[in-house]
Amino acid sequence: MRFSSRSYRTGFYYACVYGSLICLLAIFLLPLLWLLGLSLKTREQIFTTPPLFLWWPTLENYVAVLSEGNFLNSFWNSFLVTASTVLVSLFAGVPAAYTIARYRFAGRQLIFFSLLVMRMLPPIAVLLPLYVMFSLGGLINSRMSLILAYTTFSLPLVVWITRDFFKGVPRDLEEAAYVDGASRFGAFFKIALPLARPGITTAAILSMLLAWNDFIFAAILTNSATRTSPVLLSTYAGSETGTDWGAIAASGILVLVPVIVFSLGVQKHLVSGLSSGPVNDARVR
Amino acid sequence: MGHHDVSDGKTCAGGRREKYLAQLGRFADYCFVPLTVLPTITLSVAILGFPLLLSLIMSFVAWSIDEPVWEAEFVGLRNYRDLLADPVFVASLFLTLGYTAATVCLEIVVGLAIALLLNLNLPYIRFFRVALIVPMMVTPIVAALCWKLLLDPTYGLVDYLMRSPIIWLGDPMLALITVGGVSVWQNAPFVALLVLAGLQSLPKDVMEAATIDGATRIAQFRHITLPFLSPYLLVALLLRTIFEFRAFDNVYVMTAGGPANATLVLSIYVYQTSFFSFDLTLASAASWVMLLVVLATCLFLIAAMRRREPD
Repeated sequence: MRFSSRSYRTGFYYACVYGSLICLLAIFLLPLLWLLGLSLKTREQIFTTPPLFLWWPTLENYVAVLSEGNFLNSFWNSFLVTASTVLVSLFAGVPAAYTIARYRFAGRQLIFFSLLVMRMLPPIAVLLPLYVMFSLGGLINSRMSLILAYTTFSLPLVVWITRDFFKGVPRDLEEAAYVDGASRFGAFFKIALPLARPGITTAAILSMLLAWNDFIFAAILTNSATRTSPVLLSTYAGSETGTDWGAIAASGILVLVPVIVFSLGVQKHLVSGLSSGPVNDARVR
Repeated sequence: MGHHDVSDGKTCAGGRREKYLAQLGRFADYCFVPLTVLPTITLSVAILGFPLLLSLIMSFVAWSIDEPVWEAEFVGLRNYRDLLADPVFVASLFLTLGYTAATVCLEIVVGLAIALLLNLNLPYIRFFRVALIVPMMVTPIVAALCWKLLLDPTYGLVDYLMRSPIIWLGDPMLALITVGGVSVWQNAPFVALLVLAGLQSLPKDVMEAATIDGATRIAQFRHITLPFLSPYLLVALLLRTIFEFRAFDNVYVMTAGGPANATLVLSIYVYQTSFFSFDLTLASAASWVMLLVVLATCLFLIAAMRRREPD
């Protein structure tokens, strides 16, 4: 039985499957692990011609990056802008999503269509007029300009994700609250909002990803005092003379840590969230 | 209940204030729909609608940055004619379409393959599913920098492993493939996880019936799995098209449009025309062409999706 051809075949099958799974993991994760490795090497260890595969890790790159003001400043900007974007876009988007899910009103179709277009709009198409507008309004080079831009671009995501969750909240609960004398705002805050919490969490993480990972808006709308981490990192890429790989790797890793930690927390909803929206709606209908 | 006692004991003025508050609450409730929708509408109009209108107007006038605004004069479609006469723009438009088509197709094929593999019911498979989420969350600038270091001809890991120094980002043809490859690396997992969600909702009994009827694995895949997955694949197609069409970050960091405009995608073209040559009217016209192309493509795809629904 143990040496039957069937067991050989399943053994071979498992070897193949796990082999390809491990290859897959290597292709998708090794580049990032290599970056982590670079961040833990000294300058001499990075620039050796057969690359070093085993070494005693050093934290000197992290110490250098964190003791220099530029990175911490950009990290703080990224943090402020991202946190504000998440708060403002939830504050604006979640009530709108609830209303769109629950009420029929004039202009509802128009909002649907606009959200669809907003999702498709390439950021570069509005960047120039936005730059002109913010310059005239005195908002250029401020974090506020970034928060406004990110909030607007994350609204389609926030509205569509939370709308789906509000649709899943049974209407009876709110009806019962109305009978008990609750106001519309009361029913929204006390009943619908707590029940849609997983959706709101997903929306928060996605708008966080959008703001934290964005480069194009920040590259145009900020200066060296208000720039975010991706912009600072992009300046490393341009300078061929002083390419400090250790610093690039260390700051890259520091930028990745928060998004990865937060996103793994909601990994179950992440993909459905990203693909939700006007697009999914078209499919469901 | 203690609370009730306190409010009963309040003065006449307090009672009036409460009545006033209740009235305000009723009024707020009456305006519930506008109050909740207004912030979203205001932001969208101010930050997207108004700039779009501004760039539409700019695309129809002749005006340069050092002139006062009132000297702008209406010139009809001249900016668009200039744009289409610009070989760099036309090349960039076709380059972007080709880049988008190639990367999206590759992402979908690779994603589908990975999803089929991840759908197998094996011990520890969950670990692989979770690990694959990581690339799609990585900051695109960091991903591009990471690959730039990996592909370095002298100290990069890839050229060491291949034992031959290939200048990935210096050769015009190779540069575009490399830049697109980084995007596929980052986004194929997203397609995979989206398709995986579809595979997991595949009704088991249908597959079992097909197995009993003696359908081969390939026939099952072609006639059951693939048709069932088609809505998921179409969503992936639509989303990835939207995002590949606006490709900017990976190109900007890795090649900045070079060598010899070989990776000059539309976003980079508009960026350079706006913020380096300061040709605002031409850039606005280019933005609108870009916008119309992406809208037309997406609406076509959505229409295709809806058409499939009845059958």
